[in-house]
Amino acid sequence: MMVLCYFTAITANNVFRTDWQLPKPVVSNQEQKRLVLITQDRDTPFWNKVSSGAAKQSEKEQISLEVWGSYGNNEEDFLKNIEIAIHSKVDGIIVQGLDTDEFKNLTKIKASFYGIPIITIANDVPIKDSLRRTYVGSNQYLAGKLIAEQLIQDMGQTGKVVLMIDSKQEFFQNERLRGIEEVLLKYKDINIVYAKTVDTTKENVVIATQDILNREPDADAYIAVNANVVGTLVSVIGKRYQIEPYYLYSFDDSPDSLTLLQEGKMDAMVEQSPEKMGELSVQLMLDWLNGEKVPLDQNGYLTDIKIVKADGKNE
Amino acid sequence: MNSIQKKILLLTTIVLIIMACMWMALTYYNNKTQQQYNEILQRYLKLNEVTSSSQSVITDLNNYMIKPTKEKEEQLNRSKERIERAKQNVYSLRNEENNFVLTNYIHLIDSFMETTNRLLLFLAENDGEGAAQEFSEATRISNYISEMSLTLVDTELKTYDVFYRSIIEQSGEVMKLGIFILLLIIGVLFFVTYWFSLSITRPILQLTKAANELSNGRFDLQVKVETKDEMAFLARTFDRMRININTLISEMKHKAQLEHELQQSKILLQESKFKTLQSQISPHFLFNTLNTISKKAYLEGSEETSDLLVSVAGILRYNLKQIDQSVTLGEELEVLKQYIDIQKARFTDRLQFHMEVDTFCFGARIPSLTLQPLIENAVIHAIEPKEEGGTIWVRVNQNKDNIYVEMEDDGAGIPEEKIQQLLKGTQTEMSIHAKGIGIGFSNVIQRLRLFFGYDDVITIISKQNTGTKVIIKMKK
Repeated sequence: MMVLCYFTAITANNVFRTDWQLPKPVVSNQEQKRLVLITQDRDTPFWNKVSSGAAKQSEKEQISLEVWGSYGNNEEDFLKNIEIAIHSKVDGIIVQGLDTDEFKNLTKIKASFYGIPIITIANDVPIKDSLRRTYVGSNQYLAGKLIAEQLIQDMGQTGKVVLMIDSKQEFFQNERLRGIEEVLLKYKDINIVYAKTVDTTKENVVIATQDILNREPDADAYIAVNANVVGTLVSVIGKRYQIEPYYLYSFDDSPDSLTLLQEGKMDAMVEQSPEKMGELSVQLMLDWLNGEKVPLDQNGYLTDIKIVKADGKNE
Repeated sequence: MNSIQKKILLLTTIVLIIMACMWMALTYYNNKTQQQYNEILQRYLKLNEVTSSSQSVITDLNNYMIKPTKEKEEQLNRSKERIERAKQNVYSLRNEENNFVLTNYIHLIDSFMETTNRLLLFLAENDGEGAAQEFSEATRISNYISEMSLTLVDTELKTYDVFYRSIIEQSGEVMKLGIFILLLIIGVLFFVTYWFSLSITRPILQLTKAANELSNGRFDLQVKVETKDEMAFLARTFDRMRININTLISEMKHKAQLEHELQQSKILLQESKFKTLQSQISPHFLFNTLNTISKKAYLEGSEETSDLLVSVAGILRYNLKQIDQSVTLGEELEVLKQYIDIQKARFTDRLQFHMEVDTFCFGARIPSLTLQPLIENAVIHAIEPKEEGGTIWVRVNQNKDNIYVEMEDDGAGIPEEKIQQLLKGTQTEMSIHAKGIGIGFSNVIQRLRLFFGYDDVITIISKQNTGTKVIIKMKK
């Protein structure tokens, strides 16, 4: 009898105990500022850092921020995300710049139509094309110069340098290229060869790499101006040659950069400050929204860059 | 209302209340669960409503663009109202998890509405190209809306996952609870019913036992039943009956005893009468003859013999008529004197007789022939055996309450055990072989007791070789 009582009590307790943790309804009617950070490459080390920086800052400012993004440079998704953000009337969009007409069309016409401010991050698109409020990220021109100077320092003043570029000619790539060329052209013994790939998909990069390896077997150094090609580039070269004879340089904004550098397959790369970018972009957006800093510096707010070498020594 | 009925009603009420409580609790719980299910379903339905209404807006828009009629415009307006309502409903779905997405969602609906309105403006201005552009935009936004609906549903599923699972677990627990409660109630009811039936049957059992005892003739055991219901009443009545029967029986016993005693005295009387009758045939003849002889003796000058014969005749007459009647003490003493006269004639100087009588006592009633047999006894046992003779004293005196008749002799005395036998009446007949008139000692004792109604009417005091004293105590 007692046992029965005990079991009954226990089950009754189980039945009538309600420890379901339902999400709390939003109490305050006061709407938080909603920002969206949209990237093309989610879950890469670089963009994770950007996101975490931005998230940290938005937590500090007590606004809500969501990170949207497409995976693996899916441009269509990326643009759709921007459009949704615009139609969702978020308070501000922080977006990785994409130097295409569609992107420009969205930012310039649609975003302006809805009055949504846009800040480009990491990759810039010139203000006249995008009507962005400002740019937060590295000075890509300086980054180009830095990597070129590192090349000269490593290789010497003579040699054949292959520049891997994406034929889309995006703004950030052109800036880097400008920096690199400015340094290399000073030396008349340095021969610059351009290897163009149609886009950064793996097949096209493989084709472009094999083509350049066939055409210029005697190249001394490679610079992957668009960091997204570096992974494929290294693997194709690795199939054909030993890595050692080449000097290989790139930037840190691709999924493979850091790994390759650590494995010693890359000689040096330009390291940017992704967390700082995230923080700063949110900060600036809020400043603009709250009217504390109007207008924002149209030339952009630049973050630190530095060279990281394969042996881990920073310069 | 009586109390067994009350008990039954109480039990039934308790059972009913328990059932009702259980039913209510389960119903309440079911209701609650139902509400939760409803709420969950509502959430999904609300989201779905947005999607379907936005699609219907698109369809209506398309129809309207193809052929702008009044009717279609109305339909479009209805769709727009519908999506507006759906939007209002969506507000209530907001929680911490989906706040951001939901806000976006609502704004997306707003954008959709704005685009639609712009489209209508373009149509009104007959700007076909602008309208087409806005239509494609609206279609896109509608697609985004349905995509986002799916995302929201997905989020809901993730957010409420634990909740749903716990609901499933809970329903299992409810099932278990039901079984346990059922078992518990069965157990409790079993015990209660057992106890309850015992409370009714125990008194019945006790009553049965008591009845059994009564039927076996034991009326002295009290009927005890420890309840407060009708059984107690029954038991009380039963007990009263037992007491009454008990009293009646003892009364009956008492009466029977009396009856027996009466019977006894009747027998004694008849015995005396019988003896008397036996000696009645010759006595009348003897009596007449004695009188004739007495006259003859007197005429012949023998006065002494004549007197003696008169005494004998007197005793004879007294003896004949008065055995079953009471007489006065005086009469009895007179007969006694005549008897002594006769005995004196026999024993001459060997018999000394002294009589001290308080004459105020002569009127007291006494059974006839009581004193004479006792004196006769004294003469036979105290005088006859002794050669030198003996003395007999008779004293009658009184105090405030009683009259005492004492008869004393100086003979050999009576042994103690014989006295006891005489007083208890176990010594049946002493006078069977007696030479006297034949009424025995114990007969006298019995008659005295029956007449006066108390046992200590006669006292016998005797000392070996000194004498015997018999005292009759008569209450006035």
